[in-house]
Amino acid sequence: MIKAILVFNNHGKPRLLRFYQHYSEEKQQQIIRETFHLVSRRDDNVCSFLEGGTLIGGSDYKLIYRHYATLYFVFCVDSSESELGILDLIQVFVETLDRCFENVCELDLIFHVDKVQYILSEIVMGGMVLETNMNDICSRFLEQDKLEKSEVKLFAPAKAAAALKNIDLPSLPKDLKLPDLPKLPSFR
Amino acid sequence: TVSSRGDAMRGLAVFISDIRNCKSKEAESKRINKELANIRSKFKGDKTLDGYSKKKYVCKLLFIFLLGHDIDFGHMEAVNLLSSNKYTEKQIGYLFISVLVSSNSDLMKLIIQNIKNDISSPKPVHVNLALHCIANIGSVEMSEAFGQEVPKLLVSAHASASVKQSAALCLLRLIRTLPEAMTYAEWASRVIHLLNDQHMWLTAATSLIHTLSQLSPGDYKGCVSLAVSRLSRIVTSTYTDLQDYTYYFVPAPWLSVKLLRLLQCYPVPEEPAVRGRLVECLETILNKCQEPPKSKKVQHSNSKNAVLFEAINLIIHIDSEPNLLVRACNQLGQFLQHRETNLRYLALESMCLLAGSEFSADAVKKHRETVINALKTERDVSVRQRAVDLLYAMCDKTNSEEIVAEMLAYLKKADYAIREEMVLKVAILSEKYASDYTWYVDTILKLIRVAGDYVSEEVWHRVIQIVINRDDAQGYAAKTVFENLQAPACHENMVKVGGYILGEFGNLIAGDERSSPLVQFNLLHSKFHLCTPSTRALLLSTYIKFINLFPEIKPTIQNVLQNNNQLRNADVELQQRALEYSQLSSITSQDVLATVLEEMPPFPERESSILAKLKKKKPASVQVSLRIFGVKIVILSTNDNVTSSFFSTVNNSNIEAGMVQLYLAYIQCCFLPIIIELLSKDLDNKNNIFAHCFLVFMFKNSGVLFENALIQVGVKCEFKEQYGRVGLFFGNKTGNQLQNFAAAVSLGPEHQGKINVATQKEPPSQIDGGAQVQHFINLECISMFSGSPNLQLRYQHSSAPQQVTLKLPVIINKFMEGVDMNSGDFFSRWKQLGQPTQETQKIFQARHPIDTEAARTKLTGFGMCALTNVDPNPENLVGSGIIKTKTSQIGCLLRLEPNKQAKMYRLTVRSSVGEAAALICSMLEEHF
Repeated sequence: MIKAILVFNNHGKPRLLRFYQHYSEEKQQQIIRETFHLVSRRDDNVCSFLEGGTLIGGSDYKLIYRHYATLYFVFCVDSSESELGILDLIQVFVETLDRCFENVCELDLIFHVDKVQYILSEIVMGGMVLETNMNDICSRFLEQDKLEKSEVKLFAPAKAAAALKNIDLPSLPKDLKLPDLPKLPSFR
Repeated sequence: TVSSRGDAMRGLAVFISDIRNCKSKEAESKRINKELANIRSKFKGDKTLDGYSKKKYVCKLLFIFLLGHDIDFGHMEAVNLLSSNKYTEKQIGYLFISVLVSSNSDLMKLIIQNIKNDISSPKPVHVNLALHCIANIGSVEMSEAFGQEVPKLLVSAHASASVKQSAALCLLRLIRTLPEAMTYAEWASRVIHLLNDQHMWLTAATSLIHTLSQLSPGDYKGCVSLAVSRLSRIVTSTYTDLQDYTYYFVPAPWLSVKLLRLLQCYPVPEEPAVRGRLVECLETILNKCQEPPKSKKVQHSNSKNAVLFEAINLIIHIDSEPNLLVRACNQLGQFLQHRETNLRYLALESMCLLAGSEFSADAVKKHRETVINALKTERDVSVRQRAVDLLYAMCDKTNSEEIVAEMLAYLKKADYAIREEMVLKVAILSEKYASDYTWYVDTILKLIRVAGDYVSEEVWHRVIQIVINRDDAQGYAAKTVFENLQAPACHENMVKVGGYILGEFGNLIAGDERSSPLVQFNLLHSKFHLCTPSTRALLLSTYIKFINLFPEIKPTIQNVLQNNNQLRNADVELQQRALEYSQLSSITSQDVLATVLEEMPPFPERESSILAKLKKKKPASVQVSLRIFGVKIVILSTNDNVTSSFFSTVNNSNIEAGMVQLYLAYIQCCFLPIIIELLSKDLDNKNNIFAHCFLVFMFKNSGVLFENALIQVGVKCEFKEQYGRVGLFFGNKTGNQLQNFAAAVSLGPEHQGKINVATQKEPPSQIDGGAQVQHFINLECISMFSGSPNLQLRYQHSSAPQQVTLKLPVIINKFMEGVDMNSGDFFSRWKQLGQPTQETQKIFQARHPIDTEAARTKLTGFGMCALTNVDPNPENLVGSGIIKTKTSQIGCLLRLEPNKQAKMYRLTVRSSVGEAAALICSMLEEHF
C-alpha cells in the first residue's frame, strides 16, 4: 500500500502532499522535513529506494523516489508494493502531468494544486493503484476540465479569463523537462 | 492534449504570486495571516457567498495548508460545497475534506450524509467523487456506513466501468479498516469472476481479491486458476488484446505484478494442468529477460523487471521447482553486475530469499565474491546494506570465516545506521559456525575493538556464556582478552568482558610472569576510573574473585576496596559492593571464600538471545518464512499480533506452544493460511507439531494432512453409523519416482479391538514423479475409543529412506450423529442422566470472542445437532447426539453457557457412558 505521496522542490518546499493515513498537520510537516533530509543528500545515480524514516512506517516501509530537475517525487510504500512498479507509476504520474499541462513545470504544480490532486486521484486511490493507462487518465481529467469550463463560464465569466496574464513572473524558470528520465552515467 | 492553464481563479493566482514574492519568512507569515483573516471574515459575513467564491477561498486554504500552516476553519464551508449541484464545487469540497478533515471530526455525520446522496446519484462522476472520499478517509465509521453499499456497486449490472474500478479499491480500503466484519463469503464467486472481466478494472480488482484471499483464503481459493489463466494470456500471447495496457512494450506490467502477488497467497496449485500452466508462465517470464530489449528507455527495462522480480518471488514461494529456482538465481546473478543501481539493489534483496531455499542455496553461494565486492565498492549505503543481508543469508560452515572477516572489515567504515545490526549478525554467524572456539573468541573481541559502541549487552553476555560453557576456550579467552586490554584505549565493553573472564579464568594465565596476578590486577584497575558505575561494579566483583584466586595480592586489593573513593562513593551499588567485599575478604576463612566464589557453573543451553534481538529489529510483517530446528514455517498474516506472539513463544524455545497459538489463530478466523513443512529428522518434534495441526480435522473431513518437500498427503473421509471410509491421496511433489512406498494403519494397544481396519487393496509400491495415487481404507468402530489411529508412511526418494507417522482423522466424534428433539424431550433426558458419574462439567476462559452463531457452527461440525428453542436462555447452546459403535449406542447431551462479562464458559456434557461425557468435554473445551 502507498502510505503517502510527497512532492517537494530542491529546497524542500512542498508542492503536493497526499497522505493515505491520517497524520496531524504538524506530523505531516515533520515527515516532509525528514523525507527531504533523507532524499536530498543522495547523489543522483544511487538507487531510488531507501528504507523509510522514523516518522512514517518503520522497517516495513520504503521510500521510492525520483528526482526531476527541481522536483522530488517521493512515494512512501509498504512491502506489498513492487519497487520497480512504483518507479514506473511515478513516471506515469509525471508524464500525465506533462500531457495535461503541456510541458509541465514546477509553477503548474503551484498554481494548480487542485488539478494536480485530481490527476493524482485518477491514478492512486486510498493508497492503491487505480489506473495506469495514461490515455484513460488524461481523458478523464479532460472531461472534468470541460465540465469546469462550462460551469465557470456560467458563473464567473470575467474573473477567470486571462488570470495569469497580468502577473509578472519573468524570473521563474520553466524547469521541469519531460518526459525523458535523466540518463545514468555508465557504471565504472 | 489540451492545456489546462489559463483558467485559474484570479484572486488565487494573485495571492500565490504575492506569497512567492515575499522576501522573508516573516513577510510570508504576515501575508498569510492577512489572507486568513480575510477569508474568515468572508465566511462569517452576513452576505451568503456564492459557490464560486467558496471554491476560491477553499482553494486558498488548501494552498496555505500546503505551506505548513494550521487551518482551523473553513471545514463547514467545505462540507457545504458537497451539496452543491455543480461538479467543480463538489470536487473542491471533497478535496478539502480528504486532505484536511480528520476521521474523528464532528462534521463526519454530515459528510457521510452527503456521500450517501452522491453515491446513489445517477451521474457516474458524482459517484466516483463519493467513492474516492470514502477510500481516502477510510475510517471505521466509513466502513460501517458503506460496507454494504459499495460491494453492490462492484457487482452491479448498471454501474459504469469507472465506477466499478473505484468501487473495488474503495471496498478494499474499507475491508482493511474493519477486516472482521467483511469477508463477503457470499460474494466470493462473483468477485473472483471479475478476473474474467474486461481489462479496465483488473488491477484494482486483483488488489481487492488479494486482500480478501489473505483474510479468508478458503472462500477465494477459486481465484488461483483464474489468475493463472489471466497471467498466461498476458505473458504468453502477443499483446494485441492488451494494447491499452502495454507500457513501453511490456504488456500490462502492473496487472502481471498484482496477479503474481495474488498467487503468493496460496500454495502451488494442485491441479496438474493449472500448475503446468503456471510453471510455463514463469519460464516464459524468465525467457523474456534473455531477449534483446525492445526499447532503450529505462521505463521498458523497469516494467519488464518489475514483472520478473515478482515472478522470482513467486518461484521462491513455491519453493519446489529446482529448475526455476536455479534459473532465477542465475538471472539475478547477471543483475548483480548491472549498471543500474536499482537492479543491483533488488537482485541482492531477492537473492537473500533464494539463499533460504535448499534448491538454490548452492547457486547463490557461487556469487559470494561479487557480493563481497559490492560491499567494498558500492557507493550507496542502501545497496551495501542489502549486500550484508545476503552475505548473512548465504553463510555456512565452509565460507563463514571469509564472510565474517569481510563483514568485520566493512564494519569499520559502515554507516552508523547499520552498525548495530551488523554487529549482531557477525556475532550470530561466528557463534553458529564456530568449529574452533579460539576463532569465535577472536572474532567477538575484534568486534568490540572495531565497533564497541554498537556491541549490545546481549553480545558480550553471550561471549561470556560460551566461554564459561566451553572448557577448551577458557585459557585462550583469558590470554586474548588480557592482550586486548593492553591497548592504550580500549572500549568499555572490552573492560567488561575482560573483567569477567579474568575474574573467572585469570588463574589459567597467571603462570606467565608477563600476566602475573599483580599485572592482571594493575591492568584492569588502570581502566577502573575511566569506566561508568556499572562497569566499576563488575570490576569490584572481579577483584574479590582475584582475592580468592590469588591470595598473594589480597592486601593490594583490600586497599582498593577500602579506599574512600569506593566506601564513600555516591553510587550506592559501588559503596555496598566495596563494603561487603572488603568485609568478606577480611572476616571469612579462605575455605568459605573459596566456596562463595566458586567458578561459575555452566549456563543452561538456550537459544541465543542475540537472534531474538535481531528478529526484533526486523519484525514480521506480511509474510514470514523461517526455519527453526529444521522446521520450515511460512506464515502469511495480516495480523501482526499473531505473528509477534508466535515469535516470542518460539524464541523461548517453545515451538509447540507457538504452534498451538498459530493453530488457534487459524481456526479462530482462518486468518493465516499456514504451510508447514517439516525437514527435521527429529520425529518426536514432527509429531508434536502435527498433533496440533491435526486438531483441525476434528471439525472437518477433508484437507491436506501432511506436506513436505517430497510428498503431499490429502485426506477425505465419510462416516455413516459405525462405518467409516477414508480416502488418502498421495501426491509426489518431486520429478523422480518415490520407491518402496508403503502406507499402513497401525493400531496401538489403546485401539486394539475397538476399531477394525480393512484396506481394499494395497497402495501401489511406487509413485511416479508429479503423480498422485489414491488409497482407500474402511473402518468400523467396535466400541468407544479415544485418540486416533496412526498412519505409517515409508518411501524412498533418491535412495534415501523416508518415514513419516501421521494421525488419521478418525476420531470418536466422527461416529456421532446429531439427534433433533424438542425442549420437553431434551430436559427429560437431561434429568434421566443425572448420576454424578454421567456428567462432566468444565468452566473455562473463552478462547474466542463469544458468539453463539460461531459456536453453533462448531458444534454442528463436531457432529452434534445444535438444538434451537430448547434452552430458555437464547445465549445458551444445547446439543445432542448419539455415538454409534458396533457394540453400543451412546447418547450424549451438551449444554454450553457463556458468561459474557467474565468471558467464561461453562460446558456440561451428560452421557449414558461416563467416559464419553468426559472425553467430549475435554475435546471441546479448547475450541470455544
